[in-house]
Amino acid sequence: MRLDDRLLDFFNRPLMCIIAVADETGRPSAGRGVGFHLLEDRETIDVIFSAWQWPRLEPCIRKTSRIATTFVSPSDYVSFQLKGSATLRSTETSDLDRAGRFIAAATDELESLGVSRPLIAPWLTAREARVARFAISEIYIQTPGPLAGMLAGARSQ
Amino acid sequence: MNLRLSDLSACFEGVIPSIIATASADGMPNISYLSHVVRVDEEHVALSNQFFAKTAANIRANPKVTLILVDGFTGDQFLLDIGFVRSVDAGALFDKIARQLRASSVQVGMSDVMRLRSADIFRVHGIEKVPSPVETAPAMAGRAPVSLPALSEAIKAIEQQAEADEIIDSLLGSVQRVLGYSNALVLIQDNYRGCLITTGSIGYERSGLGSEIIGSEGLIGAAAMGGQTIKVSDMSRVRRFGEAIGLEAEGAENTTRTIAFPQLPMAMSQIAVPMTARGTVTGVLFIESTQRLAFREEDEAALEILAGQAASALRASEREAAVAETRQVTPLLEPAAGREIRIAHHRFDDSVFIDGTYIVKGVAGTLLRLMLEWHLNDGRSEFTNREMRLAAGARMPEIKDNLETRLLLLRRRLEEKRAPIRLVRAGRGRVRLEAEGPLILDATAGD
Repeated sequence: MRLDDRLLDFFNRPLMCIIAVADETGRPSAGRGVGFHLLEDRETIDVIFSAWQWPRLEPCIRKTSRIATTFVSPSDYVSFQLKGSATLRSTETSDLDRAGRFIAAATDELESLGVSRPLIAPWLTAREARVARFAISEIYIQTPGPLAGMLAGARSQ
Repeated sequence: MNLRLSDLSACFEGVIPSIIATASADGMPNISYLSHVVRVDEEHVALSNQFFAKTAANIRANPKVTLILVDGFTGDQFLLDIGFVRSVDAGALFDKIARQLRASSVQVGMSDVMRLRSADIFRVHGIEKVPSPVETAPAMAGRAPVSLPALSEAIKAIEQQAEADEIIDSLLGSVQRVLGYSNALVLIQDNYRGCLITTGSIGYERSGLGSEIIGSEGLIGAAAMGGQTIKVSDMSRVRRFGEAIGLEAEGAENTTRTIAFPQLPMAMSQIAVPMTARGTVTGVLFIESTQRLAFREEDEAALEILAGQAASALRASEREAAVAETRQVTPLLEPAAGREIRIAHHRFDDSVFIDGTYIVKGVAGTLLRLMLEWHLNDGRSEFTNREMRLAAGARMPEIKDNLETRLLLLRRRLEEKRAPIRLVRAGRGRVRLEAEGPLILDATAGD
C-alpha cells in the first residue's frame, strides 16, 4: 500500500505511536514507538522503539516479522494503523535524532492538551533503540467514528 | 514483587487511554486505544465491547490479548497478559461496567457517544511493570489510609443527630474530618419537581443552597438515577457540567428564579455518592477536589458508608417529626412593629419573593405560603410538622418523606438572603415564624 497525500500530511503532525507484534504461538505483545521515517517510495516505513523498555518486541519481530503500528494525533484522535512484515535494521545516529524530535514534539503536544510532563516522561524513551522496517501491506482508518476500520491509502503502483 | 490488579487502581480511572493488542488466527497483530478497562476482581478485567471490528473479531478467533495500562497518577505503565473468557450483555456485572463506562465518558466529554451494548470479560494471567526511563512520582498509596476509628466516630455522630440540619451538617463535617475534602454538597431528592436540591454545602464561595440538578443531569443526576457512585478523576479535558455561571448569577436569581450551582473553579476530581435508605435514593453526597485522582477506592467506600448512614438518619428524623406530640400552639402576641414585609407567592412554580428578593420555590415555597396564611388568618406563629403534612400532602404526596429537609432548605435560604422573616425550630416537629414587621401576603402575584 502507498501513503497518499492526505496520509503524508497526517504524518507531519505531532503524533503518538503504539506497536503490536505476535509470537509464534499467536500471543500478541505491545509497546510504544518513539519515532518513524517514511521512505521515498511511500510504501516503506521505519519505526523506532526501545528494546530496553519493550523487550518483547524485538524477539517477536525476529521470529514472525508481523507488525502493526497505530499512529494517533492526540489533539483530535485522528488515527491510522499500518501493518506489514518487518525486519530489524541496524540503528543509526539519524534514527536517534528522529526519536529525539518525535519525543519532544509528542511531549509538547500532550502537555498542551493538559497532560503534565512528569506523567508523560515514563512513556517515551529511545534507550537501546531498535528500528523495524516494513513494507506497508495494510492501512486502516482508526479514528473513532463511522469510518473506523475502513481501508485508507492507495494501492501500490 | 508480584503485582495484583488491586495495586493498579489508578489505571482503571479512564484518565490515560489503555492500549489493546490482539492477533488474528493467522498471527497478524492489531493495536488500538481503548477507552476504559474495568477491574472486576483480583483475576479478571472487563473491556467495553466498543472496539473496532478487527479487535472484536481477533478476540473471538484468538483469545490471547495484551493490554498496556497506565497509572493516571504516576504515569507508570503495566503490561497485562489476558485471555478472553466470555461476553456479558445483562446482569449486575454488565451494569457495573456500564456505569463505569458512563462515568469515564463524562470524563472525556463523550457521554452521548458511548452506549454500552456488551462487555468482554478476560482472565488476567500476568502483570509486568514496564521499565521507566525516569523515576516516577510516588503512587497515590502514599496518602494515609482512611482511619476506621475516625469513620466509626463519624457514623456515631450522624446517628445521634435528630434534626435534618444536624444530620446534614454532621455528614459534611465528617467528609472534611475523616477524609480531608473541603468542598462538599448534600442534595435532597425532590420527586415533586423531578430534581435534586442543594440543601447542605461546605467550602464554596457561594453556598448554592436551593440550586437544582434536573433529572439525570451530570454526575449527580446519574448517581441518583442509577443508585450508584460515579466519579470523574481528571477534569482537565471536560467542560464543567451544569449551567455556565456568570458573575451576575446572584443578581439573576430574582429574574430566573434559579439559584446558581456552586462551583469549585479548578476542580479536577468529582464524586457523586447516592444517599440510599431502604433501597430508595433520597439524595446525593457530592464532593470535589482540585487534585487529580482524588478519590481512591477506599474513599469511595467510606463515603458510601457515611452517605448511607445520613440517609437512614434523615428518614428516621422525618418519621419522628411526623409523630411528634403536638402540644397546644401558642398564639402570636401583638404583630411585630416595623416596616411592612411584602411576600409574593407564584402558584405556577410555588416561588416566593420577599420584598422583591427571590427566596425559594417548589415544596419549600408552598410551606412558607401555608405558614403565612395560617399566621394571617389565625394569628399563630408556631406550626407543627403534622399540620403541614396534612395541608400540603394532598397536592404534594412525597412531602411525607422529606418535609424536614424542605423546611431546612427554607430556613437556610431565609438566613442566607437575610430576609426579614426567619424560621426557628420550636421543638420536635415544630417551627416558629419570626418577622421583623407586619406581613403582607400577595398570594395571587402575577405569574
